[in-house]
Amino acid sequence: MRLLVSTLGKLRSRLATWLTIGLLILLMALIYLAVGATAKDTATRPNGQAVLLLITFPGAYALILGFVLGLGGLFVMAYAAAIAGSEWTWGTLKTAVARGESRSRYMMTTYLGIALVAGVGMLVAFAVGVLVTFLAAKLAGVSTDGITDTSIFGNLPEQFLRGWYGLVEVGAVGFTVATLARSQLAGVGAGIGIYFAGSFAGLFLPDVVKYLPFAAANSLIAVDSSTAGASGGQTLARLDPNMALLVVGLWLVGSLAVTALFTERAEISG
Amino acid sequence: MALDGLDLSVPSGVVYGFLGPNGAGKTTTMRLLTGLIHPDGGSIELLGRPFGRRDRRRLFDVGALVESPAFYPYLSGRANLRTLAASGAPTPKHRVEEVLELVGLKERGNDKVSTYSLGMKQRLGIAGALLSDPKLLLLDEPANGLDPAGIVAMRDTLRHLASVGKTVFISSHLLGEVSQLADVVGIIAAGKLVREGPIETLLSGEGQVRVRVAANEIERAVATLAPLGVAARVDGSDDGRPAGPANEIGWLVVPIEPSRAAEVNRALAGAGIYASGLESGSDLESLFLELTSAAPEPSAAGTAPIVPGNWQ
Repeated sequence: MRLLVSTLGKLRSRLATWLTIGLLILLMALIYLAVGATAKDTATRPNGQAVLLLITFPGAYALILGFVLGLGGLFVMAYAAAIAGSEWTWGTLKTAVARGESRSRYMMTTYLGIALVAGVGMLVAFAVGVLVTFLAAKLAGVSTDGITDTSIFGNLPEQFLRGWYGLVEVGAVGFTVATLARSQLAGVGAGIGIYFAGSFAGLFLPDVVKYLPFAAANSLIAVDSSTAGASGGQTLARLDPNMALLVVGLWLVGSLAVTALFTERAEISG
Repeated sequence: MALDGLDLSVPSGVVYGFLGPNGAGKTTTMRLLTGLIHPDGGSIELLGRPFGRRDRRRLFDVGALVESPAFYPYLSGRANLRTLAASGAPTPKHRVEEVLELVGLKERGNDKVSTYSLGMKQRLGIAGALLSDPKLLLLDEPANGLDPAGIVAMRDTLRHLASVGKTVFISSHLLGEVSQLADVVGIIAAGKLVREGPIETLLSGEGQVRVRVAANEIERAVATLAPLGVAARVDGSDDGRPAGPANEIGWLVVPIEPSRAAEVNRALAGAGIYASGLESGSDLESLFLELTSAAPEPSAAGTAPIVPGNWQ
């Protein structure tokens, strides 16, 4: 427990934590406010009404969550990779191991801390997303009556849990890549590469790509297909949400198992 | 292979100086003893018992600074120590303040480590090694980056720790520093231990003074020095006799403690032999160079037992 508390303290003090959440919120705010500000022009274009659904409640709730999961997933992967890589490059893992700390326990606790931070970040980003969407809807003159639609709220906790589960999975993949490479940069680079390579490959190999980490995580939340493309996530190929639970679980457990095994066997220097 | 049958006997309650040239295996030994790497073959004993992959809790009694000190640059020195205290050996909260005080960083404890000088990081690294109040302290080049005052303070701290029963194991290139600090030294070359023992014992057999005299006076000089209880010989000559014209003015090697250099000079002058040069360098340095210059290459993975106990 003391190790987890210490890990959370380290993450709270780290600039990357605030930068990651801040950047996600900033991008989301810019996009939604831009949609709101240009809504009058957009509405007259083909598919313009579909774009306006982004800022129309209650459907906007799922889309905000989809956005947080899509772009947020990329950010969480890079963030987790940065944390894991720095443990090796800064030599802080070495210091802990030399004090008798269990290697795998240390890395798993570090990842648990990242997962908790990702959960908090998701909730904060979602809350800000709702606020920004509300403002965008006002800018566009779109009705905001649906914001209090109680039928959506009962479903939100499950959606949050699924979303968090997805973030934890993509984060674990980035964490593992950085651990294997013992490098922050390699982990971040690989994370970005996986994200965009998956998006691109999805055009040609949708039945394969839907099982990859980002696509599987995005499939955890059912999104209305008419608006899914505007949410920022990968939407070309999707698994059934319940099937996605299993696939995401496999990626998560597999990644963390590789991290633990590698860390236990590694020669530590630096 | 970095180590070959390395077998160190480290008495408890002493400062042990672990010496060796670059690449001799000092840091590899440190890494083995702290569980950062594991041997390809053989076994390790730590604190008197076998030390393997599953014995990490043995390190609760060991404090270590291996290679360069490692910290989170964005945290303060104090926060780094608190973070460190949360891993491995259970450590009382007040211990962080104690070790900060001990290494003279209490005033700068709230500053970020990224603002620290190399010497301050080194002191913080030593503080980190002392956090769990270990029985055995392993320090890799502890004087790195320290200013003269810092070196003196570190020396005092380590001597104090040894005096209260802790075992301090330091690896270093700084022979002068080790000769001032260590009670016992082990010299490693090419992965093998080539000499080990209390420093006085090693140096008593290795001290020497070099005297430069004219070639035609060498034999008389040797005879003059005999009453001092030493068998002087010509430098570079196996039989102690002048080797030829090259030694018209040659160096005479007198195996005697450097502190007796004046005595040698006085004896020669008394016999009318006036030395044109006299040297008495670091004995440990001479011993080190002699032992490490012709060490064989290691051939197999080795063992690195470290067993605190009474020196035999």
